Amino acid sequence: MIKAVIRVIGRRLMAIVPVFAIVTILVFGALRILPVDPAQMSLPPSATIQQVEEKREQMGLNKPIWEQYAIWFKRAVAGDLGESAQYRMPTSSVVFERLPATIELVICSLILAVFVGTVGGILLFSARGTPFESVGMTLTSAVMALPDFLLALLFILLFGVLLPIFPVNGRLDPGLQVPAQTGFLLLDSLLTGDIGIFASALRHIALPVMALGLAFSPTIVRVLHSSLINTYQQSYIRQARLRGLSDREILFGQALKNAILPVVILVGTQFGSLFGGTLLVEMIFSFPGLGNLMVKAMQTADLSVIMAIALIYCATTLIFNSLADAAAYLLNPKLRTG
Amino acid sequence: MTERNILHIRDLDISLGTGDKILNGVDLAIAPGKILGVIGESGAGKSMIGSAIADTLPVGLAISRGSIEFDGLTLTDMTAKTRRDLLGRDIGFIPQEPMTALNPTLTIGQQVGRHLARIGIGSARKREQRAIELFTEVGLNRPGELLKNYTHQLSGGMLQRVLIAMAFASNPRLVIADEPTTALDVTVQLKVIDLIAKMREAHNTSVLFITHDLQLAAEVCDDVAVLYAGQIVERGEARSIINEPRHPYSRCLNLATPNLAGPKTRLMILPKAMPSPLERTAMAGCKFTPRCPIAGDLCIGTPPPLSEISAGHRSACHWPERTETITPPPLKADDENTVLGADLVMKATGLGKAYRQHDWLGRVRRVEALRGLDFEVREREFVGIVGESGSGKSTLTKLIVGLEDITAGVLDVVGMDRATTPRERFFDRVQLVFQDPQSALNPRRRIGSLVTQSLECRGSGLSASARKQLAKDLLAKVMLPPDMIDRFPDQLSGGQKQRVNIARALCSNPRLLIADEIVSGLDVSVQAQILELLRELRKQASFSLLLISHDLAVVRHICDRTLVMYRGEIVEQGPVEDIFTNPQHAYTKKLVAAARGNSGLYADATEQEAENEAF
Amino acid sequence: MRISFRLPDLSLLIGGSVAGLILLCALFAPWLAPYHPNDQELLYILAPPVWSADGSAEHLLGTDSLGRDTLSRLIYGARTAMTVAAAASFGAMILGAFFAHLAGYFGGWVDWIISRTVEVWLSFPPVVLSMLLIIGLGVGTDKVILAIVLVDWTRFCRVLRSEVQVVRGQDYVAFARLIGFSHARVIVKEILPATLPMLITLLSLQMGISVVVEAILSFVGMGVPSDVPAWGQMIADARIDMYDAPWGLALPIFAIFVTVLSFNLFGDGLRRTLDPRHTANRGA
Repeated sequence: MIKAVIRVIGRRLMAIVPVFAIVTILVFGALRILPVDPAQMSLPPSATIQQVEEKREQMGLNKPIWEQYAIWFKRAVAGDLGESAQYRMPTSSVVFERLPATIELVICSLILAVFVGTVGGILLFSARGTPFESVGMTLTSAVMALPDFLLALLFILLFGVLLPIFPVNGRLDPGLQVPAQTGFLLLDSLLTGDIGIFASALRHIALPVMALGLAFSPTIVRVLHSSLINTYQQSYIRQARLRGLSDREILFGQALKNAILPVVILVGTQFGSLFGGTLLVEMIFSFPGLGNLMVKAMQTADLSVIMAIALIYCATTLIFNSLADAAAYLLNPKLRTG
Repeated sequence: MTERNILHIRDLDISLGTGDKILNGVDLAIAPGKILGVIGESGAGKSMIGSAIADTLPVGLAISRGSIEFDGLTLTDMTAKTRRDLLGRDIGFIPQEPMTALNPTLTIGQQVGRHLARIGIGSARKREQRAIELFTEVGLNRPGELLKNYTHQLSGGMLQRVLIAMAFASNPRLVIADEPTTALDVTVQLKVIDLIAKMREAHNTSVLFITHDLQLAAEVCDDVAVLYAGQIVERGEARSIINEPRHPYSRCLNLATPNLAGPKTRLMILPKAMPSPLERTAMAGCKFTPRCPIAGDLCIGTPPPLSEISAGHRSACHWPERTETITPPPLKADDENTVLGADLVMKATGLGKAYRQHDWLGRVRRVEALRGLDFEVREREFVGIVGESGSGKSTLTKLIVGLEDITAGVLDVVGMDRATTPRERFFDRVQLVFQDPQSALNPRRRIGSLVTQSLECRGSGLSASARKQLAKDLLAKVMLPPDMIDRFPDQLSGGQKQRVNIARALCSNPRLLIADEIVSGLDVSVQAQILELLRELRKQASFSLLLISHDLAVVRHICDRTLVMYRGEIVEQGPVEDIFTNPQHAYTKKLVAAARGNSGLYADATEQEAENEAF
Repeated sequence: MRISFRLPDLSLLIGGSVAGLILLCALFAPWLAPYHPNDQELLYILAPPVWSADGSAEHLLGTDSLGRDTLSRLIYGARTAMTVAAAASFGAMILGAFFAHLAGYFGGWVDWIISRTVEVWLSFPPVVLSMLLIIGLGVGTDKVILAIVLVDWTRFCRVLRSEVQVVRGQDYVAFARLIGFSHARVIVKEILPATLPMLITLLSLQMGISVVVEAILSFVGMGVPSDVPAWGQMIADARIDMYDAPWGLALPIFAIFVTVLSFNLFGDGLRRTLDPRHTANRGA
């Protein structure tokens, strides 16, 4: 069984390699067409034309584009993603320094979204036919009309300005220091053994996680709700009822396993929007992660950073898609054993 | 009755919210260990009886009168919880479609195990033991392995055995079987019926057997009740109702069913359709009056009571004795001597079709769907193709109409080579009548536009009014009123849709018509209408018909010759009477025996093997 | 069964009328707005709305940090939002529906190529892709529209493709081919009418999505030019003074919320009303 799981996941992950290769070509090509000169960008404004020309030569910008791509590719495989024009540092270190913050944020949001979505979906389904169902549906519609960045702003207004109970800036209270061990602040602050620091980190991440997670959850609620309704129309549910199984046994023992499949697929396909949401949410909360970095890089046309982060976004989205695919595959015995 | 009945339904009404009745005053009783058959066409309300007993009526329906007693308990007075506790323990159910009646994401073992746990078998080991016992009892091979399988790995017949095992696991006092064989192949059907009868005996269980099939009911049931428009019209001992019906509806149903033996007659045609619940409310008298061949003035105003005619035989008719006078319309002189043309409309030589299948690992497998078919169809000849699912019938249709490419041999259609001739030369000459009119008629087109659709893409030069007239003519050919041209398919009944489907195929005066299971899934009375229509059309138009059907009696009724297909090959062909009275090939023998309701003709073991082998 | 009179779907009604109202605001902005959206009244900055203690009827919804009238900017912002949403959604629908019908109908390698393209597209989070496109295209209303079309056509393509596949499996499509309909004719005459309800529903939902994307782009200063009033821009401006003037931030958020909600409700209502399973029941 475990072997089969590894094989399926491995196969799915292999399948994204060509897709990712095409993505790198597209992103590379697109960024080279921009009316921005990377050489000039990477030098101080005072640089002479000759210095710029030398830099162009050094960066290989005078070669045909496919050769440039080959150079970039070779360097990228070796871990060299160029130099950030904004920070005058290797892009890789700029990017990877901020990666854990974003990963932490995304994982927490995803857990919240799936939890709220699943519980909400089951509750909404259990309330079918009652007025609570319409109330719940209206509520999901309302939250669906509030994308993550609006939720973030709204939470700032509510819990930062009107009722200041949550901090709205950064990852920790000013003055606190946590030695970086894993890079994941929640973990690191736990490792310090100081519960105060952990609480501070938790309070700081609360609003961004709520914004991202709650923005995603109504979609899950809706999909689970309608998927459960579909499942209940299947004849095996009717048959289970005719065998005298209780509502509870039918829901948790029979229906949920079948109904969860569309949710898994949804989480896989919509993961990109959750991840993309970090861009604005991090910016709004001054959360020092990839998204914040990306917005700054875009505003300053820091090409190598844009390229690196765009590729990280794509790779993560693709990996997550294929994991969800694999999960859906493994949940479906017809595909698995067929 | 001296013995206490296991199930006693008294004066049961089930109504819609509007007060229109789905069931009206139904009275039924089953004695211990007996099988009661409830016979009815779709819309008669027969499935509602099972739902009422299980308390699973669809939303919007409710019991408005009467009571249901089960083994001395009044179900209709009990709380939902107590009623549910009876289900699965004291009342078992066998479903219509075994393929969808078990959860596809759980193993057979998990589902059977859960059921056994519910009926009180404590330890997992005992449950497995019991499951294996039960599976052996219902004739399933390798029960231990089956427990680890998922539903899609089993055939329909095997799944139905699993479900029967589950239904009888708790030694229930009542089992309700709702059309338990409809979704199965002919040869499997009888074995399942036999099994239910055997289990009934072994467990001393009463069975409520719901079906649309008169012959089948006669086969298995002790008593039957015939249901029409929500009311019981006749009730009594099974044999006597099948052989000497005392209600015109039962008699007409019998006469509308094509036979495999005996002289060929025309089928009884019941005009119009069963009234809907709304229409029934407006009818004062007998609900069968508008369709009844012997109805009189009395029938319109006064509902006949369900009164006893002879011991244990009741009929709801004012003139039960007149029933015998109903006879099918006589054969017309021109019915039997259709002159076949000399030309061949179709000729297949060594025809074959192989698919390349990719599994998800990307491996390619060659699957031969058809192998070495040789056959001919002459002008104006009606040829039937019989075979069970997986025999390659549907693939053959696709080859003939050009929806699939031929991979071996030669297929000559209307004098042209199918593989090399451009597609457009076949358009007007070969037509296909699809099996499912629901899917074959675009729901967004009106009937008038549907029947003349084949004119659309070729500048036919017809004016709008000429096209309308043509549409009306075509509808007249299939005996539909001309005002139907402005309706949408959704507003028609199943039988009407199938006629539109046929009219549409006739639009271009084809020389070859292929009809793919066009009467399967239709009620007996509607099937009779369609079959007689095809026979009528044969006299007017000069087309050949290739009728694909799993029902031998249907093929016998309208075809001249038949091909028997089995696993992609033609195993036997010849005139229908020869084939069905004197089958040569082992498979044909089995088919004919099964259709005659004679299951003892073939050994049980071989069938079981075939069933397992298929997966 | 019985023919029952069905009330028009409630969300269809509410969503439709609110969305219609916003569209009207957008159309008649110059007549409705009390001030020009860019008129600055530097003596009168960050004025609170009329219902707060020191609000005045002069500026019903107050002013921003440059003394611009919030109500007028909201109304003109609706104009920007609606222009972008309508044009972009329509464009995305045309592009997406075209490829969806090709892929779903023909299957095989056509489907393979289109599906793989969609897959590559979807590997970018939509927000990231639209921003990348804007960097390439530059700012401007037309650029925003183009960016949304280029990002969101895949949304239509993916959903419609499977819908087309379902319809393609119907026998009436096979019949149309058998009587000699050309592929183009089959798609237009037999398949499109069946996918149209879904298409219209998706269009309505896409309107809401486009409004959000436009707001996001304006919010980070990558959307419409700065002299064009836009809700996202108003949010970005108001954020700076949110402690002094929370209303300035709340109002444009509310405007986006109501707009998106109305289009979502309208789309949901459409889906239910146009659902063939509902219409199929009418004659049964």
